[in-house]
This record gives sequence, C-alpha cells and structure tokens, in this order.
Amino acid sequence: MKTKTMPSLMVEETEDRTLLAVKDLRTWFELKRWGFISVGFVRAVDGVSFDLKRGEAVTIVGESGSGKTTLLRTILGLARPTGGEMFFAGRRLNGDRGQMERDLTWLRWQTGFVQQDPYGALAPFMNIRRILMEPLIINKVNKAEREQRIRESLEEVRLIPVDEFLPKFPHMLSGGQQQRVVVARALLLHPMLIAADEPVSMLDASVRVEILELMSRIQKTHQLGVIYITHDLSSVRYFSERAFVMYAGKLVEKAECKEIVHNTLHPYTQVLLRAIPDPEPENVAQMRDIPAGEPPSLIHPPSGCRFHPRCPHIIEGLCDVDEPPEFEPIPGHFVECWLYKDNGSPGTE
Amino acid sequence: MTRSTSRGAQLATDTVEDLTRGDGPILKVEELFLYFRASYGVVQAVADASFELGRGRTVALLGESGCGKTSLARAILRLLPRNVETYRGRVFLDGRDIMKFSDERFRREVRWREISMVSQAAMNALNPVLKVGFQVAEPLLLNHKTGKQEAYDRARDVFRVVGVPQDFMNRYAFELSGGMRQRVIIAMALITSPSLVILDEPTSALDVLTQAGIMNALKKIKHELGQSFMLITHDIATSSELADEVVCMYAGQIVEHSKAERFYREPLHPYAEKLMASVPTLREDKRLDFIPGQPPSLFDPPAGCRFAERCHKRFERCAEDPPLFVHGDETVRCWLYEKG
Ligand SMILES: Nc1ncnc2c1ncn2[C@@H]1O[C@H](COP(=O)(O)OP(=O)(O)OP(=O)(O)O)[C@@H](O)[C@H]1O
Ligand SMILES: Nc1ncnc2c1ncn2[C@@H]1O[C@H](COP(=O)(O)OP(=O)(O)OP(=O)(O)O)[C@@H](O)[C@H]1O
Ligand SMILES: [Mg+2]
Ligand SMILES: [Mg+2]
Repeated sequence: MKTKTMPSLMVEETEDRTLLAVKDLRTWFELKRWGFISVGFVRAVDGVSFDLKRGEAVTIVGESGSGKTTLLRTILGLARPTGGEMFFAGRRLNGDRGQMERDLTWLRWQTGFVQQDPYGALAPFMNIRRILMEPLIINKVNKAEREQRIRESLEEVRLIPVDEFLPKFPHMLSGGQQQRVVVARALLLHPMLIAADEPVSMLDASVRVEILELMSRIQKTHQLGVIYITHDLSSVRYFSERAFVMYAGKLVEKAECKEIVHNTLHPYTQVLLRAIPDPEPENVAQMRDIPAGEPPSLIHPPSGCRFHPRCPHIIEGLCDVDEPPEFEPIPGHFVECWLYKDNGSPGTE
Repeated sequence: MTRSTSRGAQLATDTVEDLTRGDGPILKVEELFLYFRASYGVVQAVADASFELGRGRTVALLGESGCGKTSLARAILRLLPRNVETYRGRVFLDGRDIMKFSDERFRREVRWREISMVSQAAMNALNPVLKVGFQVAEPLLLNHKTGKQEAYDRARDVFRVVGVPQDFMNRYAFELSGGMRQRVIIAMALITSPSLVILDEPTSALDVLTQAGIMNALKKIKHELGQSFMLITHDIATSSELADEVVCMYAGQIVEHSKAERFYREPLHPYAEKLMASVPTLREDKRLDFIPGQPPSLFDPPAGCRFAERCHKRFERCAEDPPLFVHGDETVRCWLYEKG
C-alpha cells in the first residue's frame, strides 16, 4: 500500500496539473502465421500524442476498428505499448523492459475502467457485494476497509439503500442500474482516472444520459480525469471539454468540443459530422452526403495521410506521399492534415 | 444553425405524395394483444395495440428496450414463440383481416410475399456456406416458383437498389463488411416486392458512416419502389431519417402515434417528451434530461397509467387506465388529452 500511494504524493508537491501525457504512443499487434512466423503488424495505435489535465474529461470518437479500445487499454496498463512515452501523475512509464511490468501494475491501480457493455460487464453468478469485493481482495485492501469502500461507492452511484442492492444479482437490476454497478466498481480503488468504453450503443438514450450525468458529477466532485470513448459525436460536448477524433490508429483532430463541431478542420471530421442526423422531421427529404470507400487496413495503411483515398480535398503528390504532421492553425486546435500547412505552425502538444 | 452545410441532395417529394394517395391504409391494427407465458407469470408484451399505416409511408416504432417493439412486429407477422398465452386482435392488410387466415394461407399469401421482416441482428444469421446472391434469390425460388434465371435477375436488381456491387452476388457472408451484410439482408426482404417491410434495428450495430449509407439506400428504395416500412429502433435521431410518422410504445402499450413533424418537435405524451429530451443533438444546444426510475414489470403492470409513477405531469386521473385519445391528427394515451 505504501509504495503505491507514494508517486501521487510526489506529484502533489510539484503542483503539476497534468495527469496523463502521452507522446507518440504506438501499440501494434504482431500477426503470426502458424503461431510463430511474423507476417506483419496491426497498427492499432500508431503515433498518438495528447495530454489530460487533472479533473478534465475528454472524449475520443471514431469508427469501429479505429483503435479506440486499444488506446484506452494501453493507457490503463492493460496492453503493452510498442513504442512512445507515457507519463502518469508525473511518473514516467514504460522505460526499460524490467521496469515496465511494475509500472503497468501501478498504473492499473490508479485507473478505473467502465466497460459500457450492458450485456456482460458483470458476472451473472455473483451478487453485487461479491462483484465489488473481488477487486478489493485482488488489490489486497484490508478487510476492515473493504465493506466501507463498497458502501461508499454504491452511495456514490446512488444505488440506495445500499443494503437492498448488496445481495442482488445483475439480472435483477435494470440496464441502467447494472451500468451504475460498473461505475461503482471502477471507483472502488479511488482512481485518479476513469475511462469509459462505449461500444456501438445498445443502451437506451435515457439510460445513457443518466450514466453520463452520473460520471460527470463524480468527475467534478473528485476532480477525476475522465476519458470517454464513443462512436457518437453528437453526445461528446455534453460531458467533456475536449474531443479527439481517431481515424486508423491516429488522432487526426483534437480541440474543444464546440470547436470540433462548429469550426471543424479535418476533412474526416467534416464527413463524420455530415453523416450524423439530429432528430428532425426534415431528414426524410434529404440524402446524406457520405464518402465512398471504407476505413483503411491497419496492416497496410495507405501511404501519406491515411484518409487520402477518401478525402474530397486531396492534394495530389503531397497527401498520398507524406504523412501529415500535426498543425495548430488555431491555438489549442490541432489537426493532422496538409490543408493547414500554411496557416498553422506544426503543433507541439 | 449549420444545417445547410450538413445536407446532401434534395429529394423530390412528389413521388411520396402520389403513393400515399392509395385507397385505404396498407396496414390497420386493432386491439392487438400478445402475452407470453413465463415461469413466474404472464408477460404482457403487447397490450391493446391499435394504429394504422398509409400506403407508401414509413412509421418508426420507438421505445426503450423491452417495451414490446419486436413483439408487436411478431404479432403482426404471426411469428410466434411456443409460449404464447394470449394472441388476439385484428390485423388488416390492404383491407383483409389476416388474423382470420389459416396458418397455411398466412404463410403462402402474407409472410414474405406481402410483409417481410428484417430481424434484429439478422446480419449475423446469414448462412456462411452459401453465396449471398443465392441467399437473396432463395425466397423467390422456394415460395414463388420463379425460374432460376428470373430469380437471379431480380436479385441483381435488388442488389443495385440496396447499393451492393453486382459481383458481390458470388461472395460469402464472411467476405463482406458489416454494412454490406446488412444491405444483403435488406435485399432479401425486398426481393419478393412486399407491400410492407418491417426493419427491426437495421443499423444499430453499425458505424455512423455505414448507418448513413444504409439510411440513404432505404430512402432511395422508399422513393423508387413505394413500399411501406415499419422501422423499429431505439435510435431516435436515426429514425427521423426515414419516418413519416412515429408510434411510441411504453411498457407494452402504444402511448402515442403522431406525424413526424409533431413527434420530433413537440411530442404529446409526457413519456415521449422525456424520451426526446434525452436525445443529444449535434447542431442545437439543449439540456439533456433523463427519465428517473425504471419501466414497470410486464408481469404485473400497475393499475392506471403505466407511466404515472415516473411522470412529471401526473395528476389524480392517472390512477385510472387511460384510453387512446384522438388529438387532432394524433392519438395519445394520456388523461391530459381528455376532452371536456
Ligand atoms: N489483441 C489483438 N490482436 C490483434 N489485433 C487486435 C487485437 N486487439 C485489437 N486488434 C485490432 O486492432 C484494431 C483496433 O481495434 P480496437 O478494438 O482498438 O478498435 P475500436 O476503435 O475500439 O473499435 P470498436 O469501436 O469496434 O470497439 C482492429 O483492427 C482490431 O482487429
Ligand atoms: N418468448 C418470450 N417469452 C417470454 N417473454 C418474452 C418473450 N419474448 C419477449 N419477451 C418479453 O416481452 C417483453 C417485450 O420484448 P420485446 O423483445 O418485444 O422488446 P423490444 O421492445 O423489442 O426490446 P429491444 O429494444 O430490447 O429489442 C420483454 O419484457 C421480453 O423480456
Ligand atoms: Mg472498442
Ligand atoms: Mg426488439
């Protein structure tokens, strides 16, 4: 216990507002034939940089397979990065190989994971007490403290009276209540960062808002960092300050949510926004404008910019040849796109 | 608002009006009930459903998970599980009461031929060892005794309509992306030229861009072929891409049936109002809201209005069961709309 709390104490002394900093992070999966001959890599996360302040909420949005879950798992210490640097609460992670395992274990301690899968995030044969007890036992929290923590976190997610919920099994709870148990579990170890992964949303709109609002409240009261993953751009600005748009393993645009929506820079983000309907009766009379083609292979990504084969604004001889660096045409608004080569100095986030 | 930049080509709307000028409604449902027997009681999945749908029109069937949307569709199409406890009511297709048909006649004349359905998660149910072209042509070959050549020609037609390249006819399901598989499933539902197509969550497992592509394809079909659609979904924003009108269900009952213009802007029923308030919008600023509590059990629904317990507009009258009130062009199951 002692060693585990030390690093965060250290940081408070340095007064650093940065909770997480990620630089050129890469997580590749090796593809093997017959189990041992390497035939290439799936570049699920390929050169990602960003930072997250204490108490800040950001959303990562992107299509299926763009690498969102892999990025999150790497940040949470659940997947081993292939390259790049990570700093968490002022501590540098994944240095040399021997150190890495210990670092990742420490990282898992500081973070909570909300798997937003309404069918299967909770073991069906365990009651709520047991579900919440498990991580406390694994992480060697002492007996006296366990009960206290379970109660605290259930109250936090408003599953009250607590005694009524403790003996229940997941199937006795509504979808929204199950989700709240998942949030309670993520809070048990008093993390500094919570990450929520929402797969293609199967949750009802109302339940989803309820959970997001709950997380948002907890984030504010405890000054937690929150990383929230979604497919749904329309929901991002309600619950986070900044949004990152992910395409084929890269964060192609990073900015405040209202900038992303109202001052969209990257052609991919523009395409994504055009495809999203608001619930309006006029929608029936119009076709939506969508690009041809499909997301690229992560094993053999296109040369140059990964979006160039589908991009309406391609600059021949540049976009299909050189990978765009990150530009910052507007302060705090980063974009990996050659269109901004003249009005943005290469960013330095 | 940045609406103008977010729109593609304007569709001609005159074709739609022509199609709605048919005689009677294509579908009329009256007092339809479907209850299931379960180990600890009877599940009242569909209770007293009544609505009608005009020719060439699309109705979105909305409501939260478990409210009975799929059950209502199955009741219309008589696709019933073994544990049915109650199944009664009237279903008129083009004026004929198809509830009176024998199972044999229903299978021969109605299912697939007149009404087809794309089931929830059907795209994962394609046969892995048969080419998708054959699977699409199959309903014609089996039920309609169409010649092979003709069936394949027709399959090629529907592939074009749903936007799947012709050479995909010779592929297997695993060789297609999720979006393409879903289009193949829709092609299958269209091949017999049914007058009503029921789509149960056709895009909810797909990406935004794929979803938009499929909605475009469905819009095109609606205009080119003039079919009526019943679109079941819990994705309210996406439903507005296709819906001319909306049927909203809560706890096994239809609580509102309104024109799209009404429902998406200013729905009548307090439940629908809250439901709309929980939908995030991209272009417009609004405060998101949610409905506290949870829907009642369908084993033992409360007496009186089923939404009363969670309703912000509840009053004494709500202790009694509200009927469907007619309010202008709309119907709504709520005492607030009782006349006089
Ligand atoms: N353990 C693994 N081994 C090999 N490839 C993997 C592994 N995990 C993920 N991938 C691949 O990495 C890519 C990114 O996957 P990831 O799950 O991160 O995407 P995602 O953006 O979370 O998608 P979704 O929105 O569908 O959840 C995919 O092509 C996936 O197949
Ligand atoms: N065969 C069955 N036997 C018993 N109960 C059933 C059966 N099929 C459905 N139900 C119950 O009937 C109710 C309505 O289910 P239905 O599948 O129609 O809901 P739905 O609105 O389609 O939900 P979803 O959006 O999750 O698909 C649910 O409570 C469900 O558990
Ligand atoms: Mg994922
Ligand atoms: Mg259903």
